[in-house]
Amino acid sequence: MRMNEELWLVVAIAAVWAALAAVYALVPGLGMPGYVRVWGGGAVLFLGLAGVLVAVSRKAPRG
Amino acid sequence: MDTLSTSFAPAGATSRLTARVASLPSADKALLALLFGAALLALVLGLVGGAVTALARAGALTFLPDDAYRILTLHGVSVFFYWLYLIQAALLLVLAAAENGRGLALRPLAWTGAALMLAGFGVSEWISATGTPLLYDGSPELAADDPRSVGVFALGYLLLSAGLVASAVCGIATVLQPRLRGEAGEFTSIGFALFAWAGFLVVSAIAATNAFLPGLLWALGAGPFPADHGTEWHILFHNLHYLPLMAAVLVWYVLSEHLTGVTSIHGPRLSKIVFAAYLVFVPPTSLYHMFLEPNLSESVRVVGSLLSLFVSVPTLAAFAIIVSSLEASARARGATGFFGWMQGLPWRNPAMANMGWAAVNMMIGITFAFVLIQEKLAPMLSDTFFVPGYFHFFAVGVLTQTFLAALMVILPALGGGSLWRPDLLRRMPAVVTIGLLIFGAAGITAGFMGVPRRVFDVGYGGMAPAAWPLLMALVGVGATIFAIAISVTVYGVVRTLLSLRPSGGQAPVVDWRTGSRGVCAVPAWTGPLSVAALIAAMYVFTIVAFQLIQSLPIIAIGGGHGH
Repeated sequence: MRMNEELWLVVAIAAVWAALAAVYALVPGLGMPGYVRVWGGGAVLFLGLAGVLVAVSRKAPRG
Repeated sequence: MDTLSTSFAPAGATSRLTARVASLPSADKALLALLFGAALLALVLGLVGGAVTALARAGALTFLPDDAYRILTLHGVSVFFYWLYLIQAALLLVLAAAENGRGLALRPLAWTGAALMLAGFGVSEWISATGTPLLYDGSPELAADDPRSVGVFALGYLLLSAGLVASAVCGIATVLQPRLRGEAGEFTSIGFALFAWAGFLVVSAIAATNAFLPGLLWALGAGPFPADHGTEWHILFHNLHYLPLMAAVLVWYVLSEHLTGVTSIHGPRLSKIVFAAYLVFVPPTSLYHMFLEPNLSESVRVVGSLLSLFVSVPTLAAFAIIVSSLEASARARGATGFFGWMQGLPWRNPAMANMGWAAVNMMIGITFAFVLIQEKLAPMLSDTFFVPGYFHFFAVGVLTQTFLAALMVILPALGGGSLWRPDLLRRMPAVVTIGLLIFGAAGITAGFMGVPRRVFDVGYGGMAPAAWPLLMALVGVGATIFAIAISVTVYGVVRTLLSLRPSGGQAPVVDWRTGSRGVCAVPAWTGPLSVAALIAAMYVFTIVAFQLIQSLPIIAIGGGHGH
C-alpha cells in the first residue's frame, strides 16, 4: 500500500511524540514522568489515528 | 489612490460554509446552539471577573484577599478553560459537520460530550465561587487543609476533559464520513486540520487528566498528596498554548474563504504540513516552561532555549500563507500599492474586522512572548505583571476576537436570523485593540519594573516605587476599554444567537477567486515582510528588556511558579 501524505504526516507526529517520550523516559536527569505519560499517550493516539486513516482508505468504496 | 475592483456578493448569497450549516439536521443545530450559548455564558462570566480584577488591581475597588482571589479564579477558570474549550468543541463540531455536508456522525456521543462539559462547567464555577480559591491552575498547595476544594476543582476539569474527548471523537468520525462514502480520496486542508486538531484536543485531555486526577484521588483518600502538580500543570499549560492558536488559525483559513472566496494559492499540501507542524513542534518546544525550575540543568536550559525558537513557526507560516494568498488573489484582480490591496477586503463585515485586528494583536503578542520565554528573562519576568500584560493580546485580541468572528458567520446560518448591527460590531475590534495597547503597554512596563502578578495590594506600605500605582491605574483603564468593547460584541453575538428575525441579507463579502485568471506574477510581499518586521521587533524589545532590567537596582529571581 502506498502511504499518502496525510498518513505520512500523522505518522511523523506520532514518531516525534514517541521520541520525546523516550527521551524523558530514558534520561534520568530530566526526572519528569508526566512528560512520558502525555507525550507517550499522544504518540499512541496519533499512531491509532494513522491506523484509522489506513482502515478508512481500505474500507472506502472505490470508483 | 490604489483601487481594487471587487465584486460584492449579492445580498442573501450564501457561501459553501453557511449553506452547509444552514442545512444541518435540527438535532445538530440544537446541540451547537447549546454549546455556543454555554461558551458565551462562560465568556460573560470571565469578562465580569476580569474587569473587576483589573479595577481591583488599579485600586478602584477593594476586596478582602480571599474574595479577590476568588474573583481572579472565576475569571481564569471561566475564560481560559470554559470559554476557550467550549467554543473549540463547538467550532470543531460545526466545521466537521459542514465538511461532511450531512451533519454529525456519532451524534449521541456528541451530546454526551456536551453534557460532560456542561457538568464540568457547573462544578468548576460552583467550587470556584464557594471553595478555597485555587486560581485557574488549581494548585493543591493552596488548599492542603481543604481536600474537598481540591477534589471538586479537579473533578470539574476532568469532566471538561472527558467531554472534549467525546467531542473530538465525534469530530474525527464526522470528518471521515466523505471518505467512508467514497466521495473523497483524501481530506481537504480544512478536513485534515480538523482531524489533527481533534487529536490534539484528546492529547490535551490526557494532559489534564495527568495534572488533575492525582488531586481528585488525594481528596478521595485514594492517593498521595499531588506534590508534583506544578510540573504536571506545565505540561497541560504548554498544550493549552498551542491548541487554541491552532484553532484560531484554522478559523482564519475558513473565514478567509468565506469572506473572499480565496483558498491557499500554495495548495492544500502545504496547508496540511503547516497544521501537522503544530503537533510536531508541541513536545520539543515544551522545555521553556521549565526555565523557572531552579534545579534545571544548564544543558537542558540551552537546548530548551534553542527549541523555543520554533514555538511560533506554524502560526507564522499559516499567517504568511493566508496573507500571501489574499494578496496574490487581490493583485490578480488588479490591486496595486504596497498595502493598497488590503483596501478591497470586506472590512465592513465585522468578521473581517475581527480577523484583521486579531492578526495585529497576534504580531504584538508574539513579539513579547519571545521576550518572555528567553532563558535569562523568564525567571525575572514570569512572576510579574508582564505575563498578563502580554498574554491578553493573545487571549482577548487574537483568540476571543477570532472565535467571535466565527460566531458572526455561523450563528446567522445556524439560526436563520441576521447579525445584530454589523455597522456597530465592525468598529469594536479597533476599540478592543486600543484598550489592549493601553493595558499591555502599562502592564508590560509594570512587569519590567517588578510589579508582581496575582498580588492585589502592591503598595507595600508606601515602599513601592511611585510609578507602580500609575501603571496599574492605566492597566485598569485599558481593561475597562477592551472589556466594554468585547461586551458589545458579545451582546451582538448573543442577540444573533437568540434572534428569530429572518435574515435581511448577509454582511458584505468579496469574491477574489482568481479562476481562469490564475495568480499573476506580481510578488506578494506583505506576509513575509510582516514576519520579518516581527522578528526585528522581537530583537528590539529583547534588547530593551535587558537594558531596562539591568538598569534596575534589584534583581529578582522567580522560583517554580505555575504561570
